[in-house]
Amino acid sequence: MTTDQLILEFETFHGELKSFILRMTASVQDAEDIVQETYLKAHEKIDTFRGESSLKTWIFSIASNFARDLLRSKKRWPETVTDICREEALHNKQFFQEAMQIRETSPQGKFEIKEHIAFCFTCVSKSLPLEQHLALLLKEVYGFKVTEIATIINQTEAMVKYYLHVSRSRMIEIFDHRCSLINKQGICHQCTELNGIFNPKQKAQEELVKIEMAREAENKSKEELFDLRMKILQELDPFESGAAELQLHHLEHNRQVMEKYLEENS
Amino acid sequence: MNPQANSTVGDGKASTTKTTFSRETSVSTTINADPSIVWALLTNAADIPRWNSTVTSIKGQIREGQTIELKSTLDEKRTFKLKVKEFVPEKRLVWGDAQGNRVYTIEKGAGKGVRFTMTEKIGGPLFPLFAGFIPSFDESFERYTADLKKEAESIQSSKS
Repeated sequence: MTTDQLILEFETFHGELKSFILRMTASVQDAEDIVQETYLKAHEKIDTFRGESSLKTWIFSIASNFARDLLRSKKRWPETVTDICREEALHNKQFFQEAMQIRETSPQGKFEIKEHIAFCFTCVSKSLPLEQHLALLLKEVYGFKVTEIATIINQTEAMVKYYLHVSRSRMIEIFDHRCSLINKQGICHQCTELNGIFNPKQKAQEELVKIEMAREAENKSKEELFDLRMKILQELDPFESGAAELQLHHLEHNRQVMEKYLEENS
Repeated sequence: MNPQANSTVGDGKASTTKTTFSRETSVSTTINADPSIVWALLTNAADIPRWNSTVTSIKGQIREGQTIELKSTLDEKRTFKLKVKEFVPEKRLVWGDAQGNRVYTIEKGAGKGVRFTMTEKIGGPLFPLFAGFIPSFDESFERYTADLKKEAESIQSSKS
């Protein structure tokens, strides 16, 4: 493969790669750095690419290794991340002032409940063990096959199947317990709560009926509702959507809160 | 005293051998799954209560030399503190306390499946004094094995 071909093909999945790394790291800076390092490494090693997998699989494997190197020494987030960060945000006037300014001035400053659902998954899925997190995102959000994931994360297909099964079960259990959109007993209402703050004139219920996962909450199984949650992530580019700047600002807030929290609780 | 009961370990059927100073329960079954899946299920402590109906909670890491705290349906009021004594990936796991050891073995068969065996021997000089208070393990062992088989085979057959 020539460098020109690499550039052309890299561009076709550059957005997916960047969003994948963002969802792994919860950091815009890390996502940008890793995508750049990945491209440089691919460029440098393109002669060694033998086409045994697709170029996309090969590139995602390089990027996953960078992400793993970065995250291996860091603690995983607790599944209560959004509760902890909510408490911090309530005492952080500057956070809300900045968010309101983004809401009012940025073309990517809309607040949309479905965007927050994707944001929430990014935070909560960081409670999974690293390998399970990688495998789950690659399969459920980015559509890789088990054999491709085995190549990307350098594991056997059997272990990838194990990671997928366990991580999916865990996420289904957590969201069933927490998410009031799919379970009336769910303890978390942050998406509708924030909608009330950022869109005070909008009725949350009218917005929720536009979201299939919320609309079908009583008719679908937990498994199917998880698939609908994944569909929301599949359809959103966290860097390009109409709510990107607002959600990325919120994500950075949560990342900083988590770093401090994990340091204090180590 | 001679063993009171013993039989060949059937597929998924537990058997118990009793002597004056010890009791040994064993169960064995074939699992049509990769040994790495069976091993991962056996050793990922946090995930065990999800698939294993005989374990209500488990704290700690299942790694050699570590101690785990396990609560079982056998006696829900009691927390068993167990030390992981052997940890040979995809082959053998042993944990136990002063009263006995639980041994799990995974043997690769000719095909894709594995032979899984779980054995627990409890005993000692004071065993006759408390033997009457220890419930039978047979049913719990059979459920443990059946749950493991079901979960491992479900993962193995999941979509690629």
